[in-house]
Amino acid sequence: MGFLNLNASVSWWDLAKPPLDISTNGHLIDGLWNYTTMLCIFYFILVCIGLFGFAFFYSQKRNKTPYYTYGNKKKHLLVTAVIGAAVFLSIDLNIARIANNDLLNQFWKWPDPKTEKVLRVEVMAQQWLWSFRYAGPDDQFGTADDVVTNNDLRVPTGTKILFHLTSKDVIHSFFVPNVRLKVDTIPGRITRVWWEVTTPGVYDIACAEMCGTHHYLMKAKLTVYSEEDFKRWVATSEKIALNTNDPSDANLAWGWKWEK
Amino acid sequence: MSGGYNEIHPEPTTFWSTYIISFDHKVIAKQFLWYGIFFLGLGGIMALLIRWTLAYPGVPVPVLGSLLFSDSGGVVPPDTYSMLFTMHGTIMIFYAITPILIGAFGNYCIPLQIGARDMAFPMLNMLSFWFAFLSGLVLIISLCLPLGAAAGGWTSYPTLSTLIGSPGAGQTLWCVAIFLFGVSSTMGAVNYVTTVITLRAPGMGYFDMPLTIWGLWLTAILNAIFVPVLGAGVLLLILDRVMGTTFFLAGASATSGSGDPVLFQHVFWIFGHPEVYILILPAWGIVSDLLSFFSRKPAFGAKATALAMTSVSILSTLVYGHHMFTTQMSPLLTQSFMTLTMTISIPSAIFFANWLGTIWKGSIRFDSPMLFSLGVVFVFGLGGLTGLHLGTVTTDLYLHDTYFVVGHFHYTMAASVLLGGFAGIYFWFPKMFGKMMNETMAKIHFWGTMIPLNGIFFGMLMVGYGGMHRRIYNPFVYESLQRLIPINSMITTSAILMGAFQIVFVINFLWSLKNGAKAVSNPWNVGTLEWTIPSPPVHHNYDEIPVVKCGPHELGNPNLKNGRDFQYQTEELVEA
Amino acid sequence: MNRNQLQNNLAMTVTLIMGSMLFATLFLGYAVYRSSALMWPPLGIQKVSLVLPFLSTLVILASSWFMYQGRLKLENGNLTKAMVDVNLALALGSIFMIGQCYLWFYLKSTGIFLTTSGIFGSILYGFTWIHAFHMIFGILSLVYLRFAIKRNNSNILQTTVNVEKFWHFLGVVWIVMFLTIFVL
Repeated sequence: MGFLNLNASVSWWDLAKPPLDISTNGHLIDGLWNYTTMLCIFYFILVCIGLFGFAFFYSQKRNKTPYYTYGNKKKHLLVTAVIGAAVFLSIDLNIARIANNDLLNQFWKWPDPKTEKVLRVEVMAQQWLWSFRYAGPDDQFGTADDVVTNNDLRVPTGTKILFHLTSKDVIHSFFVPNVRLKVDTIPGRITRVWWEVTTPGVYDIACAEMCGTHHYLMKAKLTVYSEEDFKRWVATSEKIALNTNDPSDANLAWGWKWEK
Repeated sequence: MSGGYNEIHPEPTTFWSTYIISFDHKVIAKQFLWYGIFFLGLGGIMALLIRWTLAYPGVPVPVLGSLLFSDSGGVVPPDTYSMLFTMHGTIMIFYAITPILIGAFGNYCIPLQIGARDMAFPMLNMLSFWFAFLSGLVLIISLCLPLGAAAGGWTSYPTLSTLIGSPGAGQTLWCVAIFLFGVSSTMGAVNYVTTVITLRAPGMGYFDMPLTIWGLWLTAILNAIFVPVLGAGVLLLILDRVMGTTFFLAGASATSGSGDPVLFQHVFWIFGHPEVYILILPAWGIVSDLLSFFSRKPAFGAKATALAMTSVSILSTLVYGHHMFTTQMSPLLTQSFMTLTMTISIPSAIFFANWLGTIWKGSIRFDSPMLFSLGVVFVFGLGGLTGLHLGTVTTDLYLHDTYFVVGHFHYTMAASVLLGGFAGIYFWFPKMFGKMMNETMAKIHFWGTMIPLNGIFFGMLMVGYGGMHRRIYNPFVYESLQRLIPINSMITTSAILMGAFQIVFVINFLWSLKNGAKAVSNPWNVGTLEWTIPSPPVHHNYDEIPVVKCGPHELGNPNLKNGRDFQYQTEELVEA
Repeated sequence: MNRNQLQNNLAMTVTLIMGSMLFATLFLGYAVYRSSALMWPPLGIQKVSLVLPFLSTLVILASSWFMYQGRLKLENGNLTKAMVDVNLALALGSIFMIGQCYLWFYLKSTGIFLTTSGIFGSILYGFTWIHAFHMIFGILSLVYLRFAIKRNNSNILQTTVNVEKFWHFLGVVWIVMFLTIFVL
């Protein structure tokens, strides 16, 4: 039984914590998760008090005569209605409101490359490979000077990164646990996601949507550079790309014109 | 189509007509029960193989490994792993839960509890089982194909489930099997809806029906409306696979595109979300009844429970989009689906208030059906509440397709329905077979199921929050997930334990069939109609159609003077 | 209405709801394809000539009308005359099916192919196939009805009502299909 040989200093709660949040918006999701969970625990404790408490105090041994009621008196209905309303008002309305605000103010507030500094990346998923495309010196996608990497995404801190994604064959899902976001890549249409990271390091990118036998191997590396390091890397890669990109290579020719 | 007038059908005489091509709802119910238990075992073994692979990747499976996977030295290969979780989902949902909860209890309880001699259309009922049988056969055959069975997940999203992603015949047979099963389900649905409306005993209004019947009836209505939607979806998928149409094909790999893979997801979940309630509603009904029966007091707010079930059924048709937040629907759709999803909390909270209200100030007997019913309240509490994280768009963007989702839907659909199903089996076994089940073994079975079950599914919630996503053969190729190995092996150990304790159930079931104490006509002292007749009932159920004079939960009435603490539905309500 | 009629009507209603949901799903799909397509029919494909589908619509309408007449005559107890009408409905139904087969050949001859014409071809062929598949059941039930009338079964009126409803349902589905995928 492997689970008994645990390092005593690491509790399971620590193990099951989500990976390090490296994004500017991840805390919104973590915060909402915590909020929802707290309220869930509160209501679940109430259920348990009812369940175990009543089961204990009203067992046949302790309570010989049951209370004969249909539970349709006014006060019964009132209690039921209050419970229903309390749950709805305290959890549902709140989390829906918070989520809606977060979506409108952050996650759906698409950065505009015209007015702010945005790194644009095109993502092509296929069985079982992630390909990433940077616009290159001419700032145009689908041209010969594009920097294309496979299973290797490099981004800077402090810049909003806007991804446009599609898939060649089946549906995949672009999942970066460290920024808490995922979005499906769907053949025949373009989906998008944006995030901004804060902490340099190397992280995982996973495919989260079942995409065939080797779905589990469809992982890519996310390298977060500081802004200077990223500039250096981009400069080198662009040089390499200009020298080595072969326009007749079908594997490189998947870029599309960036729209909106 | 000729309907029955609730007349007495002649008793069958041959073995063939009694047990095989039977028109008797009680026999068909037992056929469905055996069918469901067989597939439950098969799906359970698949679950264990999946769990073994997740906790000990690359380690040969003990016992079964050398038999099944001799080519790979006893290790489950990746392609087989995909088939295993696809088939596990399909089998458990369509071939285990549906036959037991809807096929077996539906067929058994509906006519007996509403005082009818049989279903409205006995022949349709017989056909319903044999279509289900045919469907199961097709599914089993698909497991034996050279390229293997379907491997695209039970949701079988295109384009993975089209020829682009799954060239083998397994996926086609999967579609055919699901279509046949849909035919069987809808036949059952026509029958249940009609029977409940037309064959209720004289005097029985809708709110005099036991809540079990409410659950089954609403389930049948949802089935009738939404199974055809899935039918249309798999029909188009079959056309795509066999005839070369392009309904769901798009992208560079499709030779002629312009189809829409996301359309299938819409169609699938328009069916799929009501399907969740199709599975859980009978269990809710059974639990609501049993809590009242074993607390010896009337169901608390029975009318409110029935109406809450109805409103959940209606709401379930409006919220399906929360399965698709990551596909980036239009913002308006996303917001609407989130808000609508949230409203399901209200009827759910009413359930819990009423369930707890029922046991409040009761005089509770902890017989095995009651234990399992209390278990349902516990696990459904956990399952329902974790749904909140998934109905909220932003948290869902992180949790979607992780094990958090797996834990959540197993708590609601697997744990609750399984425990509810066991409660029903322990409760109606005496009526079905005329024998009592062994109570000690039943209690061992309860604790042996309940404790590991929470280990499994709570563990799944934990690793899901930790970031482990679904349907991966070896999660630990991701270094960041390696820290979750201990929790994963805990889940697997729990699963093996839980699997082992199911053997107690099987032994108890088979042993009691043969050697169980003889059941009296009303072993649990409850008043619904099926307990007014001998166990097991005669072929035509009721010599005389009963006349109903009071509700199904008349227990603990202090005005009763006849030495019983309950009264039958055929008796006039005793009032002070 | 006695209990047997009530049961039959209910069962038929539920069955028709199921059928409607199946075809409604198809039309939902059509609406999605149609609204997301840049142009319709897609580039390089011509609109299908309406002559053949329109004739089919007339045929199936006439067939439904004869079915209705047949049921009226049966209600008046006139079995022989009802038989004539049912036969006519059956014949027209079969002509409709022949027309559908001809339509498929015609589509092919105008260069609309199943596999290469993309979603346009898929919808034209796929939807009409699924409708034709249901038509086969409709025609079989009409054949059954013929024999039932001939033998003068006890429940004959109820059977006729059920078959009639199903037959009208198939007609309505065809008309919706004609209006959406051919005319629009």
